[in-house]
This record gives sequence, C-alpha cells and structure tokens, in this order.
Amino acid sequence: MFATKRLSKMQEHVPPGIAIVKCDNLEEWQMDIKILDQNPLYLDQTYRLKFTFSNKYPIEPPEVQFIQCPDSTGTPRTIPMHPHIYSNGIICLDLLGSAGWSPVQTVESVCMSLQSMLTANNRNERPPGDQEFIATNRRRIRDINFVYEDDNV
Amino acid sequence: MDQSFDLPDSTDWLETPLSLLAPFESSLRCQVCKDFFDNPVITSCSHTFCSLCIRRCLSTEGKCPACRSSDQELKLRRNWAVQELVDAFKLARPSVLELARRENTRLARGEEEIEKPAQKKRKVNHLEEEELQVPETNSQGRRTRSQKSIDSSARERTVPQIVPEVIEDSQDDEEYIPEDGLVACPICFRKMKEEAVFPHLNVHQQEEDSPKKTPTKTASFGSLKGAPQKGLNLPSKQPERLPAINYSILKDNALRKKLRDLGIPDWGQKQLLQRRHTEWMNLWNANCDSKHPKPKRVLLQELDIWERTQGGHATAPSPFTTSNNVMRKDFDASEWSNSHDDDFKRLIANARKKSEAKARQTIPGGCPSSSGQKEPQSQQGAGLPVDGARVEFGPDTDGNNVIDLSG
Repeated sequence: MFATKRLSKMQEHVPPGIAIVKCDNLEEWQMDIKILDQNPLYLDQTYRLKFTFSNKYPIEPPEVQFIQCPDSTGTPRTIPMHPHIYSNGIICLDLLGSAGWSPVQTVESVCMSLQSMLTANNRNERPPGDQEFIATNRRRIRDINFVYEDDNV
Repeated sequence: MDQSFDLPDSTDWLETPLSLLAPFESSLRCQVCKDFFDNPVITSCSHTFCSLCIRRCLSTEGKCPACRSSDQELKLRRNWAVQELVDAFKLARPSVLELARRENTRLARGEEEIEKPAQKKRKVNHLEEEELQVPETNSQGRRTRSQKSIDSSARERTVPQIVPEVIEDSQDDEEYIPEDGLVACPICFRKMKEEAVFPHLNVHQQEEDSPKKTPTKTASFGSLKGAPQKGLNLPSKQPERLPAINYSILKDNALRKKLRDLGIPDWGQKQLLQRRHTEWMNLWNANCDSKHPKPKRVLLQELDIWERTQGGHATAPSPFTTSNNVMRKDFDASEWSNSHDDDFKRLIANARKKSEAKARQTIPGGCPSSSGQKEPQSQQGAGLPVDGARVEFGPDTDGNNVIDLSG
C-alpha cells in the first residue's frame, strides 16, 4: 500500500539520463541509465538496472543490480566496468545495504547515485576477487556483507 | 479519480503554468511514503514525517531517515502547523490544479476557442489582457468548490468584478454560490449561513466520534472559531499510548498473553509475535497522534492488512522475506528447507573456495567479500529464523566497517 503510492510516483518525470524500462508490477522494475558526461569509460553506453522490491520497501532497501541484455533483445546492455561492480552486475554500494539505506531514498535517487558513482570513476577494472566472487556467490544480494573498504572511488 | 492510475502527485504541476507549485507540494509530502503528511510529527532533529512512517522507521532502525541521527519514538512531537498546511492545501488542490490545467490547454491552443471551457476562457481572456501573469488568482474565486467557506470573503471581493464580464454563464453558476450569504459546509456541502457552519461542523464531529469506544470522551469543539482547521489545537482526548516492550526479557507465553490482552492475534512464533506487537504499537501510537483517532476496529483491520502483506499470512515467501515469514502451518517445512538451503549454499561455496584455493594457492587479499567474511555471514543467514525479530538488521550492525561511498 505504502509501496503502491511510492512506486507510482515518478512515471513521467524522471531525471536526465534515466528511463523507466519496465514498471508493470510492484516487485520488479527495470531502469536504463546513461552517464551524461564525457567519461570515456561509459561514453554513449546505456546500462540496465533491475530493482527488486520487498513488501517492506521503503523501510528496507530494494535489491538493485545491473543486468545484461543480449544483442538479440534489440537493446544490448552490458555491465559497466567499475571497481565496485562485479561482472555479474552486483553492486557494492553502501546505500543499497541495510545499514546505508534510508527510506527517503527513491528509485530515482538510487539511479542518480549510481550515475554519479560511475561518473566519478576512472578505473577500468572490476573489484578485487571478482572472478572468485561471481563463481562462489549464491547468496541473496542483501545478505552479502560488503566491506566498504575504500571511499576514493 | 481513479486511485490506482491517477494518483495525485507533485509532478502534476509541472505541465501547468504553476510549475513552481511542484516543489511546494513535495514539501507537504512525507519523504518516506511520498504521500501528504498524515498526522505529521517532528523528530528531535527537526525532520517531519507521517507519524506511522517515522514510527516504523524508528522501530526498525532507530534513526531518522533523513539525517540518520538517532531518535526515539518518545521524542516525537506532533506538528500541527504542517497538518494545517496539508489540510488546507489538499482542500484547495483540485480546483487550483484544474484551473492551472485549463490555463495550460488554453495557452497550448493559443487564443482559439474550444467548446466546453469556452465560457471560462473568455472571462479569463478578458482579464488577462491586463493581468497575464496571474490568471489563476482571479479565477480561483469563481471556481472554488470545497473552498467556499474558507475564502468566502475573497470571493465576495472578486466575484462582483468578474461577473459583469461573463456573457454566457450557464454552467458556472453551479460552481459558486451567488451572493445569498450562504456558504456550504465543507463536509456535507449543505448550504447555510456562515455563522452556522461551525456549530454545524460539531454535528459531523459527533457523528464521527460517536461509534468510538477508545477515546473516552468526544472532544469539545468550543475552540472552533472561524478557522477551517477544526479542532487542530484541541485534539480529542487521546487513547493511551502503548509502551515499548523489551522483548528479550519476555518468555513466549508472556508475550502471547500481552498480545491477547491487547486484543490482537496471538498465534505464531515469538519472532512473529514481536513483529506483530511492534506493528500494533506503531499503528496505535500513530493513531494517538491523530486529531481524530480511529476506532480500534479500524486499527485491527490495518493490522490485518499488515498480517497479510508482511506478517504471518504473507503469501509466497519471496526470496527476500523468507527468513521473516513464519507461516503457522507450513512453518517447519519452509524454515527447514530455507535453513538447509543456506547451508547447502555455504557448503558449496566452501567447497568451491577450497578447490579454487588449492588450484591457485592465493586468495585475493582485498576482496570486498573475501573468504574470511563469508563464512560467518552465511552461518548467520542460516541461523536467522531462530533469532529475534530484528533479523534482517541483525547481521548488518557492523556499521563501523562502513565507509560512505555515496559522497
């Protein structure tokens, strides 16, 4: 009930570089984001985000990750290169964890945070241990206990 | 108004000439639920939220959602000024918005006549030759419906100068009251003399209050003087607030009895009992902040909705709520498979790790979720169902590790 109002809010007026791809139910949304400045890492790229909402949203954070779309879908999407984004799309960002989340966040604000996280990055690399992580992680995103070990990226 | 698809929202203003009202309206909305403030309360860090929203946040996390400073429910105070702002704005909103939209259509189509709103437009046009900037203030006087009692004086000022401009006025007269000195009750829209409105409002108040049991007495509305914010400064006699319970010192049965005494369902495991009690406490105490507290049976219905969406009757344990969903009937089965699921995953992960470690002989040191982190974490995951109510936040209390990346 909470969520209904909440999720229906944005519809038409989304911030620049952000587009709603799929929002036909209140459990999963997909959004496209673009990086609007000239950062060569992300120039002219569009990335797709998947939001999964629990029925405790917004008290609890949504699960947010980048997803890949093959070329065959007509909208090919890749996982952006970033030291905090694993190659399976899982994002290490404090505001998406239970400790960093605040109920005042919205889908837009999360998208904008991710835009700025990408914009500010100039390292063309994956997190350390990426291969091991994606090979071994089978946990739900929220159970992953990230250590936000550096704040300079 | 179709509730599901035409939700009023602050962005409604953006396509109108009154786009500056969008931020104004957002500021009248709760940052948590995005709806208009409902029983707004102010925290000790001076942020305002709906009473229920902030109580849910505080009972989950103990922090203000806006600034993250710690706060307690006991310190919440009602914010009447905001309540008045919201009430007044909600009352005015439909007519102002409609006007703004009309004006927008008119601007979009240039000066050409369109059939239905033509009469109004013509009037506006006349006026606008001189006052292009503020058409809405003029026309508001004519268009208000529910607002009549509020700005009847303003209307009487503006109407006479507008009426002579009207050439055809068939429809319009229904919209405002001619100067017969009568105004409509904002609740039932019955027309009466202005002095009679406020005594009349007491009737509605009593109708509303009479089926209640919880408030011991109906509020006296002697303070209703000439202001639309009826009774705001004189809330009905409050039902008593529920104190928080330290769940950890209560045995299951004691807690169950507490729930029974409160008149709410008492089935389920202790964890569910705790969560249900917390929700009930939030609903109840938020209701205490209301100027017109709802009767207990309404709160019980709300608790029932909670039960079905987030409590023991929540359907299809979705991946992220499994650990909280203690279903009475298939409790054992689902819990069993869940915890074993986690165990399996942990075992598989461990096995993979070992074999990989053997193969590579190196474990990447700075991995954000390096092996040292994983094991205790997944064990916690497996142990969740046995833990207390705050399971989902339990494992995450290691906030000291967290460095803010968002800045």
